[in-house]
Amino acid sequence: MEPAIETTNLTKRYGSLTAVNQLNLKVERNTIHGFLGPNGAGKTTTIKILVGLLRASEGTARVLGQEVHVDQADLKLGIGYMPELPRFPKHLKGKELLDIYGRMYGMNQLERRAQIPKLLDLVGLKGRENDLIGKYSKGMQQRIGIAQALLNSPELVILDEPSIGLDPVGMVEVRELVKTISKEGMTVFVSSHLLFEVEQICTHITIINRGVALVSDTLQNVSNLISGPITLQVEIVNLNESVIAALKNLPYVKDMTKSNNTLNIPLKTFDDVRAEISKTITNAGGIIVAMNTKGHSLEEVFIQLINKTQGGKP
Amino acid sequence: MERQIEKQRPTWLQRFWAITRYEMLWNIRKKRFIGALIFAFVLATIQFALPALFNISENPYFAITFSVGNLSFVLFAIVTAMNSISGEYESGTIVPLLTKPVSRTMVFLGKLFAIFLTILTAYAVIYIYSIVGGIVVYGPQYNLQLVPLALIGDIISTFIWVAIVLAAGSVTKNSLLAFLMAFGLFIALAIGGGLISQLSDNPSGLNYIPGSGVSGTLNVSGGQNITVSNITVNTLSSVSTGTDSIGNNMVKVVLYPTSNVSFYHRDIFNFTAPPKLLFAESMGLIALRSIGVAFVYIAVFLFIAWYAFKRSQVFE
Repeated sequence: MEPAIETTNLTKRYGSLTAVNQLNLKVERNTIHGFLGPNGAGKTTTIKILVGLLRASEGTARVLGQEVHVDQADLKLGIGYMPELPRFPKHLKGKELLDIYGRMYGMNQLERRAQIPKLLDLVGLKGRENDLIGKYSKGMQQRIGIAQALLNSPELVILDEPSIGLDPVGMVEVRELVKTISKEGMTVFVSSHLLFEVEQICTHITIINRGVALVSDTLQNVSNLISGPITLQVEIVNLNESVIAALKNLPYVKDMTKSNNTLNIPLKTFDDVRAEISKTITNAGGIIVAMNTKGHSLEEVFIQLINKTQGGKP
Repeated sequence: MERQIEKQRPTWLQRFWAITRYEMLWNIRKKRFIGALIFAFVLATIQFALPALFNISENPYFAITFSVGNLSFVLFAIVTAMNSISGEYESGTIVPLLTKPVSRTMVFLGKLFAIFLTILTAYAVIYIYSIVGGIVVYGPQYNLQLVPLALIGDIISTFIWVAIVLAAGSVTKNSLLAFLMAFGLFIALAIGGGLISQLSDNPSGLNYIPGSGVSGTLNVSGGQNITVSNITVNTLSSVSTGTDSIGNNMVKVVLYPTSNVSFYHRDIFNFTAPPKLLFAESMGLIALRSIGVAFVYIAVFLFIAWYAFKRSQVFE
């Protein structure tokens, strides 16, 4: 089966500005793929090309196995798209909007009657469906935006900054929703500039900056990309030289640092060696009172990658 | 939420009707549409109330010579089409719309059909009002079966302006500019056409631009003579050749298929001088030409509107 999204040397120029530069992106099916980058990185431009709102200057984009062109109606049967800060006709009621969009998807009355209340319930707009969208708050517009993106139970859901405009509770709900729809077999491509959001929900990520993809891989591999494996933080009572010497003899332990009674132990391995470390410390007379793993957060990776491409400039 | 494993491709009609419905709901909920409707009712009321003020109590041709009027044509075109395309771009609603499984041509046609339905409904109500008002004020009306012809003519006349407004909006993506361009053109043509009609010995060029065209007199023996202040006017004799009078002209062709229209030039600086006969044309030719001219304008401007919409990219 072809990837849900595949771009080859995708480029978009606005005059002298190159918004997307030779982007090669692959989003496998049944994954939650985060599209991460700072504001102005080219995320929304890329997405607009993928959904046929913009024409690429160069390169190709394939979505659900079909090459994307502007004005390609049938391709959109398989795509659910929520734009960044979505805007819907103010004169329509929430339910009317979903009903009309449902008709565009060719859903019959029975399907619409079954699907629309479920979606309204899912996004927390039950009871407000008969209000005019003009009276909706920004957060409610965001919610109806998610509902309309899921209306046709699409194969691919593209969410452009879905958390913008939502309160903290709403943000958590959106994250849960993304996980839920992924479990239903939909591929989710979600753009965000919020690192923690991507870290919490995505299985794969692509980091983009200034129109260039810096990295694209599984979340784990991207997290490990820059600084290698994790560091163990061990708090020890009776931390003496024999404990440190014993640990130094372990082949997978790099240079340690000591802070009061806590040891930071960077590891050279990706294997889980906590049991062996624990045993070594105990045998050397130390008493472990706490042990934590300290990974390389996406934020660290992100900043390092951005710095690399920008020569250290933020 | 259950996944649809096999999705049915929506039919052409399903998508078309969805867009029409989307647009219709917008049109009928526009406050300015209600305003235009009220304005048209006021104009219609004036049309049958004004002659009555001159003690004209009988006019059996009132209903079939009634027209919504050229100002109403422009106003209805503006309120229904002004932000039909450009408004979607301005408000950002174009983004979710164009990412649904409907082609831009389908969106365009659906919107156009919704505009047609909206104007048809509004005009039908106004025409019914004019018939009832005509009967009440002027007594029994002749040839009421021809009223739909007048209504269709008014819709064709209106659609010239619909096409112009849509083209302006689609090219500029700015509703205010679309309004100003269309209304400015209407005013310019109305003033320019009026001047040419009064001053020129050869005003036939007016037949080819949207507006009133050239005024002439239908040489008919039928009709009703009305005398006001010693001036006798036949209710059917006044003819305008322009695209604003398609409905009236179609009715007159049906009533008087072989009659001719004479065009005179009156020296506005010397009213005592007798009017000079410029030329005469058959009623059929006048009606056919005005319809032809209207359709050329409609086709050209709708093509511009469609092409600009089809080629546009959504940046914002």
